Amino acid sequence: MGNLRQALFLGHGMATATLGNLRIASKRHPRIESAMAERAGVISELDDINELVRLHQARIRRFVFCSTGDPDLADTITQDTLLRAFRGRESFRGDCSLSTWLTGIAINVTRDHLRSGRFKFWKQLKATAIDVHEMASFLPSEGISAERRVLAKERVKELYAVLETLSYNQRTIFLMKFSEEMSVEEISEMLGMGVNTVRTHLHRALKAVRSKLGATL
Amino acid sequence: MTPTYSTHLSEEAFDDVLIGLGSPESEAHLAACRDCRLRVNAFHADVALFNSASMAWTENQPVLLRPTARKTFHRTRLAFVSWAATAAALVGMAVVVWHHDGPVTPSRATPNVSQPADTEAQIAQDNQLLQAVNAAISPNDESPVDEYKLFQKRHSHLKTHHK
Repeated sequence: MGNLRQALFLGHGMATATLGNLRIASKRHPRIESAMAERAGVISELDDINELVRLHQARIRRFVFCSTGDPDLADTITQDTLLRAFRGRESFRGDCSLSTWLTGIAINVTRDHLRSGRFKFWKQLKATAIDVHEMASFLPSEGISAERRVLAKERVKELYAVLETLSYNQRTIFLMKFSEEMSVEEISEMLGMGVNTVRTHLHRALKAVRSKLGATL
Repeated sequence: MTPTYSTHLSEEAFDDVLIGLGSPESEAHLAACRDCRLRVNAFHADVALFNSASMAWTENQPVLLRPTARKTFHRTRLAFVSWAATAAALVGMAVVVWHHDGPVTPSRATPNVSQPADTEAQIAQDNQLLQAVNAAISPNDESPVDEYKLFQKRHSHLKTHHK
């Protein structure tokens, strides 16, 4: 953790310098100024490991858990992702949002785990069934009747069950699109796939979802 | 009053709308067709429920801190070093055993082991003991064969031959 503290210390200095640059650039065009302020904010966010964890840990963990189906592995990958992001924060160019950049790192870390064969994707349904029930019970209850809540829980469980049946690529792309709200182009670029390939994966995933969730879709 | 259509969006066109790649015709149909719009809204509502539940669940799970990659690397390196040391020890033992049970070599036949130097008293004692042994085993009685002096002849023959 000594290195991390040192990195944190250095990172603080860099944020100050960035803010210094922002003051110098304050006479520029408002749009440029706004973009620079946004970037400065992101860099500042990246410089503080605690802030990075606070703002992004749950989202990355959710993505990796739903993608791999393994909560323990999701913890490990989330931790590795945030650490890699922090250590490699100099390489963040601001071409995409910080969330998208972090999701890309999480996908790479997951791929590394997949290649090394350190875990098996998607354990048996029995092993994860408890998590699904538990997850479904975390639905917000404000303003929802008990009956609607029961129905909503069923829908969550059904959608999760469908995701389990998808291939890793289909599931990951589905989550990138509908949970991470990334565009098809962003997914295509991040995964190194053609736009049409991404589209095909999404079509297959949606077909499976539609067949499971019934005639309403 | 929203018109109802006898034909709705095809599955592919519907999925393209969900993906965000809907054609202008699909978008126009969606704007006008209440049924298709309800289907799209139902899908997004289900996904929103799933996202909300999974996020709330994730936020409530205790985070298990694990050793970082660097620590894992150190652990792996330590394990490698220990395995290498064990292997080296085993190889060393195998070499020793092989030398012990292996073919007799000149060095094995004449081991280069330093012996303590014999003292003169010990040498004299050993000589006395050897003489006593010789006296004990040497025949006192003359053999019947001695009268033929075979051994003397043989010894003299050997001496002449050597000369």
